[in-house]
Amino acid sequence: MKRFLKVITLCIMVLGMVLVTGCGQKAATEGGNTQATDKTANEVKTYKVGTDASYAPFESIKPSGEIVGFDIDVLNAVAKAEGFKVEYVNTAWSGIFASIKEKNDMLISAITITPDRAKEMDFSDPYFESTNYIAIPENSTISSVDDLKGKNVSVQQGTTGDEALKKFLGKDYAGIKRFPNNPAAFLELRNNKVDAAVADSGVVLIYLKENPEAKLKIVTDAKFDKEFYGIAVRKGNTELKEKINSGINKIKASGEYDKIFEKYFGKQQ
Amino acid sequence: MMTLGVIRFDIITDYAPMFLKGAWLTLELTSVAVSVGTVLGLIISLCSLSPNKSLNWFGRVYVDLFRGTPLLVQIIIFHYAVLPSIGDFPTIVSGFVALSLNSAAYIAEIFRAGIQSIDRGQMEASRSLGMTYAQSMKYIIVPQAFKRVIPPLGNEFIAMLKDSSLVSVISLQELAFTGTIVMGDTARVWEALLPVAALYLIMTLILSQFVAYLERRFGKSDIRA
Repeated sequence: MKRFLKVITLCIMVLGMVLVTGCGQKAATEGGNTQATDKTANEVKTYKVGTDASYAPFESIKPSGEIVGFDIDVLNAVAKAEGFKVEYVNTAWSGIFASIKEKNDMLISAITITPDRAKEMDFSDPYFESTNYIAIPENSTISSVDDLKGKNVSVQQGTTGDEALKKFLGKDYAGIKRFPNNPAAFLELRNNKVDAAVADSGVVLIYLKENPEAKLKIVTDAKFDKEFYGIAVRKGNTELKEKINSGINKIKASGEYDKIFEKYFGKQQ
Repeated sequence: MMTLGVIRFDIITDYAPMFLKGAWLTLELTSVAVSVGTVLGLIISLCSLSPNKSLNWFGRVYVDLFRGTPLLVQIIIFHYAVLPSIGDFPTIVSGFVALSLNSAAYIAEIFRAGIQSIDRGQMEASRSLGMTYAQSMKYIIVPQAFKRVIPPLGNEFIAMLKDSSLVSVISLQELAFTGTIVMGDTARVWEALLPVAALYLIMTLILSQFVAYLERRFGKSDIRA
């Protein structure tokens, strides 16, 4: 009985310590957040930026753990032009929209501006034009989105590609295979488990370029809408949104944006 | 508890076929995993107890390997690496294989505990009656052990019911994944996840009742003081 009591007391102490450290961390982050939104003129604000770093060339992780990509370069340039700092937080795509409510101050993750998303968050001006491409094996005869009827197609869950496929093939279409991230969707295609994969144009182009041994080709279809990426901020955070918009305008005017674009995608047409 | 307005039951009825389809897939995955796992688990537990050195080694290594790595990692490795190198299988096979092999490791330890809990006297008595080690196991020890392990076995079945949700990562649309898809579709949390929770609860309760029935049936031959 005595030993039992000792063990119970030990467990309660350990539990208590864990809870106290947890509370301590929460207080520290809250303190940090209020600091970021403080209107002190001589303090450089650091914003937490959520991004799903498995979406080359827009954002990806280097072996060192550093997050790099087109989106990163663009936001860094905007931050420099406007005089604030950013800290990138690798956030899983499935939780990224929920994270803008508390955890992250802004999101940049090849996020297409859509009316549904605009209900939950505010977007900056568009900073990139995109559409959805279909990736298929070289010897496939698929030539349009209609050819996907009766076939299996993989896509990242919750992307505009997912929405488009639901629209064209039906909400309950059983052949849509949804994955938590894009690389998994492509891997499924390479293992011949699906007949096609749908993703953003930039991502498909880079994937084909970097993986020639996969022997894939692209099919475009005018049925896929033109999309525009935006940087997301919390709903109502007009101050930050205007800052970002001003920054985007500055880097477009200065030619900085064109330089970044060329680095990743070659000269703009 | 935060309520986001009145729960819209029309969303739940709209997506009802999808939820039921997901629940069915969950049941399929769990039943295969548990049946194959039980047979395989019994074999492995016998290996772990075998006096034969290589069988013994195999049993212990198998259990350590499949208990020592996360089920999520096992599912991903089987689906993307192991199975594609063997041949072309539909995705659900990856689910069956990963869940069964994982289940077998835990069930093996359950059986091993059951077998070891049988009085040594039973083995001694059967051996002195002239039965071989194998015969004693088959006719005397394992049947008694099986009765003993019905509660922990039932526990493992119920745990596997929930663990099966991990196959969502290879795009199998079982119940939990269906919940997140509906949540993404409708941007509503309660309407998407309450049906999921309810269905899991119903399946678990049915399974518990079945285990209780097994306990009663197998316990009929026990001598009650």
